[in-house]
Amino acid sequence: MESILRKTAKELLEGKKVDVVVGYTQGSVPLTMSPVFITNPDDAERLVFNALCSQNLAKYVHDVISQNRAAQKRLKPEERKKKVVGVVARGCTTRSLVLNLQEKQYTRDEIFIIGVPCAGYVDQKKLSAAVGGTEILDGSLTGGKVTVKTPAGEKSLVLAELLADNCLVCAYNNPIISDITIGEPAKPMNSANEFKKVEDFAALPLEERWSYFAKEMEKCIRCCACRNICPSCYCPECFAEQSMPQWVGVGADATDTQVFQLMRLFHMAGRCVDCGSCVSVCPMGVDLRMFLKKLDKDALDLFDARTGINEKDLPAFSVFKEREKNEEFLFEP
Amino acid sequence: MENNAEWEPKIVAIVCNWCTYAGADLAGISRIQYPPNARIIRVPCTGRINPFFVVKALQEGADGVLVSGCHPGECHYISGNLSARRKFAMLKSFLNYIGIESDRALFTWVSASEGERFAKVIKGATEKVRALGPAQKLVKKI
Repeated sequence: MESILRKTAKELLEGKKVDVVVGYTQGSVPLTMSPVFITNPDDAERLVFNALCSQNLAKYVHDVISQNRAAQKRLKPEERKKKVVGVVARGCTTRSLVLNLQEKQYTRDEIFIIGVPCAGYVDQKKLSAAVGGTEILDGSLTGGKVTVKTPAGEKSLVLAELLADNCLVCAYNNPIISDITIGEPAKPMNSANEFKKVEDFAALPLEERWSYFAKEMEKCIRCCACRNICPSCYCPECFAEQSMPQWVGVGADATDTQVFQLMRLFHMAGRCVDCGSCVSVCPMGVDLRMFLKKLDKDALDLFDARTGINEKDLPAFSVFKEREKNEEFLFEP
Repeated sequence: MENNAEWEPKIVAIVCNWCTYAGADLAGISRIQYPPNARIIRVPCTGRINPFFVVKALQEGADGVLVSGCHPGECHYISGNLSARRKFAMLKSFLNYIGIESDRALFTWVSASEGERFAKVIKGATEKVRALGPAQKLVKKI
């Protein structure tokens, strides 16, 4: 599959169909992949795609396009050139791209989607736990096995046990939209109990829910990594840094962190694609997914909206109906 | 610490200019009695109310937040309250999910001719928040 991916990327770049291909390449740390921007056709050899590619590349597509626009601000409109970005996109990445298209961040002709099927990616935190937190010196991925070399010796792990939580219940692991699809469609994941954790959590008593939220938010150091990696977070100025009005205090007050997270989470209402990027980059291991998934579930239950699964639909908060099916939240004295 | 016997709920009522604020006006000129616990903030439309306003009010010490606007279909700006309704349906559910009592955030509609209803809403909201007691969660202690 990788050879076809490289060949496709090379042809696209040589044929000037795209200006840059955003993909994955070997990372500098063993068993990690990092995003790469390929502009030279000869560099297409560096592209890889496997179960270690975890980032949602839609973020970088938005970055490249918006930076290109900002750089041409002072040119006459007729002299401005569009940049076509090719992107290696799995299911969740295409959902993010669809969301960005729905929100009119760029037009369809500015992106070229190289769709790839996905069978889930490795959660680095699970991988680290599987080797007891020791340093990983080297590793390789073959078939359904991950071979890890640690100072204590070599260890063989089962790939299926290392997959990220969001991948295990993913309902859209094949590209939603694509210009070229590489490889055979992947088998569906176990999406039947997608909301199981959310339902279990919602059944807990109120005080337990609050203490869990407070405990998780206590961990947060407000590094904003979750926001920076999120493909749905693209405001030029984030509320977290705004000073007029200052939504979030800059001190170490616990409620400021809670409010920051609460507001950021709520920004994802009807906009989260459950790509798991925020969870994977969180250095403190905050359980963000427990709360994000609730917003996903609510958007589906209340408005029948799922993020980015259809180019024609709009996100939950961008549309309304005269009558909604759930109005009992309203207060009647 | 606040003495519970003397404690009075503080409610922030964020209301729209065209319906609920006019309804409050009507309640005033009709001399309808209602509890003095609500602090009214007037905004052009419920569609202008960012869900952050509600969260921020709770953080800054409000015991309850009431949001009220025009009835669906009667918005001065045609659809402001309809998009607001979506936001608040999810906000209320989400606040409850993370463990904040659902009666701390109340959403309703009061039209300009419903002075009586406005008084009833404020009374009902005050009773609900009084039953919950002073807000403890998410409150910034300064």
